[in-house]
Amino acid sequence: MPDDQSRQFPADQFPADTAFSSVERRLVAYLVALWRLRVPIRHAKPDAAGNPPRRVSLSDGLIWMPGTFRGVDGHRSGALFRAALVHAGAHLRFTGPRFPAAGLKPLQLALVSLIEDARVEQLAMREHPGLLRVWRPFHVAEPDGAGTAPALMARLARALIDPDYRDDDAWVAKGRRLFFAAESDWHSPALSRRIGGLLGNDLGQMRVQFNSKDHVVEPAYRDDNIGLWDHGEAPPSPPSDAETVFEAFRTEQEERDRGRPDDQVGEGATPARLSATDVPARAVGEEEITAPPVRYPEWDYRVGIDRPDWVVLNERRSEPGDPAAIARIVERHQATADRLTALVRSAKVSRPVRLRRQPEGDRMDLDACIDAMVSHRRGEAPDPRVHEVLVRRNRDLSVLLLLDVSASTGDPVAGGGRSVLSVEREAATLFAQALDGLGDPFAIHAFRSNGRQDVSYYRIKAFRQPYDDAARGRLAGLKAGLSTRLGTALRHAGRLLERQATHRRLLLVVTDGEPSDIDVADRRYLLDDARRAVLGLAARGIDCFVIGLDPQGRDYLTRMFGARNVMVIDRADKLPEVLPTFYLRLST
Amino acid sequence: MALDAHRIPEEPYYRPVAGEVALFEAAYAARMPMMLKGPTGCGKTRFIEHMAWRLGRPLVTVACHEDMTASDLVGRFLLDPGGTVWHDGPLTQAVRHGAICYLDEIVEARQDTTVVIHPLTDARRILPLEKRNELVQAHPDFQLVISYNPGYQSVLKDLKESTKQRFAAIEFGYPNATVEAEIVAHESGVDANVAALLVRIAASSRNLKGHGLQEGVSTRMLIHAGRLAAQGIALETACRIALVLPITDDADVRDAFSAAVSAAIA
Ligand SMILES: Nc1ncnc2c1ncn2[C@@H]1O[C@H](COP(=O)(O)OP(=O)(O)OP(=O)(O)O)[C@@H](O)[C@H]1O
Ligand SMILES: [Mg+2]
Repeated sequence: MPDDQSRQFPADQFPADTAFSSVERRLVAYLVALWRLRVPIRHAKPDAAGNPPRRVSLSDGLIWMPGTFRGVDGHRSGALFRAALVHAGAHLRFTGPRFPAAGLKPLQLALVSLIEDARVEQLAMREHPGLLRVWRPFHVAEPDGAGTAPALMARLARALIDPDYRDDDAWVAKGRRLFFAAESDWHSPALSRRIGGLLGNDLGQMRVQFNSKDHVVEPAYRDDNIGLWDHGEAPPSPPSDAETVFEAFRTEQEERDRGRPDDQVGEGATPARLSATDVPARAVGEEEITAPPVRYPEWDYRVGIDRPDWVVLNERRSEPGDPAAIARIVERHQATADRLTALVRSAKVSRPVRLRRQPEGDRMDLDACIDAMVSHRRGEAPDPRVHEVLVRRNRDLSVLLLLDVSASTGDPVAGGGRSVLSVEREAATLFAQALDGLGDPFAIHAFRSNGRQDVSYYRIKAFRQPYDDAARGRLAGLKAGLSTRLGTALRHAGRLLERQATHRRLLLVVTDGEPSDIDVADRRYLLDDARRAVLGLAARGIDCFVIGLDPQGRDYLTRMFGARNVMVIDRADKLPEVLPTFYLRLST
Repeated sequence: MALDAHRIPEEPYYRPVAGEVALFEAAYAARMPMMLKGPTGCGKTRFIEHMAWRLGRPLVTVACHEDMTASDLVGRFLLDPGGTVWHDGPLTQAVRHGAICYLDEIVEARQDTTVVIHPLTDARRILPLEKRNELVQAHPDFQLVISYNPGYQSVLKDLKESTKQRFAAIEFGYPNATVEAEIVAHESGVDANVAALLVRIAASSRNLKGHGLQEGVSTRMLIHAGRLAAQGIALETACRIALVLPITDDADVRDAFSAAVSAAIA
């Protein structure tokens, strides 16, 4: 038995075998295929004493997976991970609320768990009978084994799943009889409680040895079953990334009704709104300035002049966040990400384009030839453009995505839930993922302002940098705060974009409101300055587009960017899907 | 008579799923342009064949593609020894002689091609042949039907709004498990149990839609698997070559799907 081996050898004498990470993606897809179950999986860490976890654990809707099962050879450990994950899936699918542990002896707890394991597996096999082949190979207990409690339990476990197993032990036979006699009740978890309680009692009276401290569930693919029990204590503190706890199990809903589950996710995950008043000191004080300040002019419509060197812009670097948060975003939006990958693939191949009716070319355009002949016969002057050429349209453009991260982006999006900023972050994530696949040079920057002396500009991913964990960390670390001096940010972005040597250059802005700043009272002032900046960029061959998250924003956005360059979306939570597709459409 | 070759002599097998047959009959009675929406391989083509047979109309089918020009639909002048002669395209033939014209996968055609159907789909019911300087008034029995698979094609190639809004639509999906099993059994010759099993296997691939798969396994693919099984190929192998291998090149997703196939088989 795999686990006995690992007991005989010091753990570190064994090289780590197949790591879970190498099979994770396929096994996650397997659970989706079987049950539409998409469960966040976390890699379990060693316990306080430094011992690696030996069993899977289920808690708070997460599956905690050991990175490896020690002492299991590579071939078998792939199968073991599969068996373990479907077992966990069967619990998530069929196990109900936690059982109250109060009043049960350790042996009874173990037996109720064992029956519950058998019950969920039987239910799973009603839907997918072939799962027997996944689990049975790990049941290797033999009828002539020792009469200790662990051995008897392993035998009972086998008797409850393996129809070909023979065991004459009275206790094992009783368990088997009770369990199969109740087949019509398998759907009810109360059955595990009843039969398990009985069998635990019997075993207790047999005075076999049982040490609940050392007890390890067998076979190795089964989870520790701690998640089954409610010990009446405060729930264990949630893992650091609280958001993951709320990740939906079922993907069903997600597909029928895109966006809804995320609203639910948000319930517990909404970052606290950072008010404009408590952020300035902190944000400015702690963030490292990464380049000398740059001064930009600003347009004053009242006098009709550009005020020279009026605004000061500082490039800053904010505290990076956890790049894994970005990976989880992709996970959560897998459907969109996949769709984008497909779109990207088709956008990427420089498709040959057939140009008809050309004055010259490498072949004849049949239709044009015939038309020419027809005209000729009729005595008209034929059109001489009778050729056809095949050209390849290569992509030759770069794009800069500029995110508004002012205080208002800390507000929840309509319908409650996540903040605007987290929606922007998700959108930027999918955008980056798509662009990375596409190969177009791209940058992701963000801005906010705190009066004309201090516009902050963040390069989350610069054109020359790869989209790597460092960039993902910066993206994860974005925080909302301060105001929106859009014109200056546009000028700076334009300056950076201008250096790109591509044929076309695109500046894509995402904002949730009107430009504003603490030292400007006149609404029109910053609007007109931004408009001036857009015109200036257009003159230098940079196309600006804006995606507005304020459903009422069309008027002011149109004033700044021009009607054809504005896209307003009515529900901000659609941004992650809209942004990358919008770009793909613009660029093809 | 013209278009005799396009008549459907025998009833094509079609298993109605909801009220689509009656809906279509009503739409035909009004000569309303129809759009059949739905994923690939779910019976749209079979349905229109069946309806053409039922209504006793010839069926002219055009598989649209990117390189198709308006001339490919309406017709063109060809040269012959005596001068030039006009040849009606398939659409024009259907319009003149009162057939049902089925434009399959219309989004594949370029938008400048699709606009030729506009005057046919409003009250005028005419087809202008510009090159010939002729306006063809549609035969009273003529009807235009298109198929459209939203979400499958790129956003870059969607139908124009002005095109979409000219049609009424019937939505096709995968039928429920019992009906789909009946279809699979009928078309492939496997028994009811095997057919039901195949449909359960399809469900696991459909779960993967959006999670690695673009589309789940279609009824058509199930029929393929069933036909192989009916020839005596082991079911797991039949599924492998007719379902798992064709549907994706992603090794992980393929592994997940084939493991789900094997979990379905006792
Ligand atoms: N309701 C049904 N009744 C009878 N046969 C069906 C039905 N649905 C699907 N089929 C079977 O599925 C096969 C595929 O269907 P069909 O060719 O009509 O698909 P389609 O929807 O036109 O696909 P595509 O969009 O790829 O053209 C048919 O050949 C037929 O055997
Ligand atoms: Mg368990």
